[in-house]
Amino acid sequence: MRRYRLFLFAALAVSGAAAAVDRDAAQLELAQATSAVQSAERDDAVRYAPSDYDEAHAMLVAAQQASDNRAWTEVATYAERAKVGGELASARARQQRAEAATTEIQRSVDTLRAQLATGGSP
Amino acid sequence: MSRPLHRMFLAPALLGLCVSCATVPPGPPPDVVRLQNDLDRLHTDPRIADNAGAELGNADAAVATLARNARVLDARAYQQGVYLSDRLVKLAEASALARYAEQRGTQLGAEREQLLARANTRNASSSSRLYTYSDTATGSRRDELVPRSRAELMAMQNQLGGLESRVDDRGLVVRLGDFMFEPGQSALTPTAQQSLDSLARAMQGQPNATARIESYGAVNDGSATTARAVSVRDYLNARGVDLARIDVRGERMALRSGDERGSRVDVVVQTTVR
Repeated sequence: MRRYRLFLFAALAVSGAAAAVDRDAAQLELAQATSAVQSAERDDAVRYAPSDYDEAHAMLVAAQQASDNRAWTEVATYAERAKVGGELASARARQQRAEAATTEIQRSVDTLRAQLATGGSP
Repeated sequence: MSRPLHRMFLAPALLGLCVSCATVPPGPPPDVVRLQNDLDRLHTDPRIADNAGAELGNADAAVATLARNARVLDARAYQQGVYLSDRLVKLAEASALARYAEQRGTQLGAEREQLLARANTRNASSSSRLYTYSDTATGSRRDELVPRSRAELMAMQNQLGGLESRVDDRGLVVRLGDFMFEPGQSALTPTAQQSLDSLARAMQGQPNATARIESYGAVNDGSATTARAVSVRDYLNARGVDLARIDVRGERMALRSGDERGSRVDVVVQTTVR
């Protein structure tokens, strides 16, 4: 989060921000973004949060292309988006999985309640 | 009205207008208002407010920073700020709702255990009625007219807490959904382990019961799909179910493309009448 705020302040301080991001900072952002998107992939975001994952992945690809063109400000911009997008995809995947598991347990609780109420087997 | 008098009224009016324009600050841009409204909604939702972690604080800080600087940021930085803030708000919401669902799952799991204990107690008193079907085929209650093997399966089903199950022509079919496994892995989640414990106990109580494990997965996911079936078999074995009673056929069923959410493992339990 601190990095996001730093970026905002940096952008504010240097109007246009064109020369505000150097290569090292951009590549650090890119590495963090790559890590976040890979983490989302491990969290099964491809399956549970496909739109969020796809967007994060698209941003990462854009950042990598900008890196190839040595456009460091572009790299930082897209990498920040990819990073937060990857984190969002992971969180959404976790949410979906937790809700699916809870729904399943709720169903079994409802079944047990019904069984106990009727004294029979489903 | 004479010309000097006209000027005398016009000048203060213009001056007043300028002063009012300079002293009344413009409101925040619509994007920022939307983000602030979203944050307000999160703070007033008890599911989120009660489960808010650092993510909500981060979102608060991001939106506050954006709101303070929105009027002086250039268009590019502003758009970046809006994008990041929007995602941070959504991240806070998803993280909190995940925690809420996990806590709710834990509470329901405890409730399920209590209900299961009650169901087992009741089942113990009623099982003899079910098992004596072949001797009392003329019983008047239709729901008692079940073959002994089916009655045994239904008795086992009563012991399965937290597992999606049904008794059909194949036997007692216990379904383990995709979410019962760690993401992208064959390892069982703690919830799945807890649920399989009850299946293992039920099978130990029915020595004549056997299990066939069927794995359903995407075509291009063969080894992972089979590994999940093996994982279930090994867990049941570790909980005291003899391997000779478990058949892992490695039957990997092809799902339609885009139907990956249908990935699952079915445990089909059958009994033989003694």
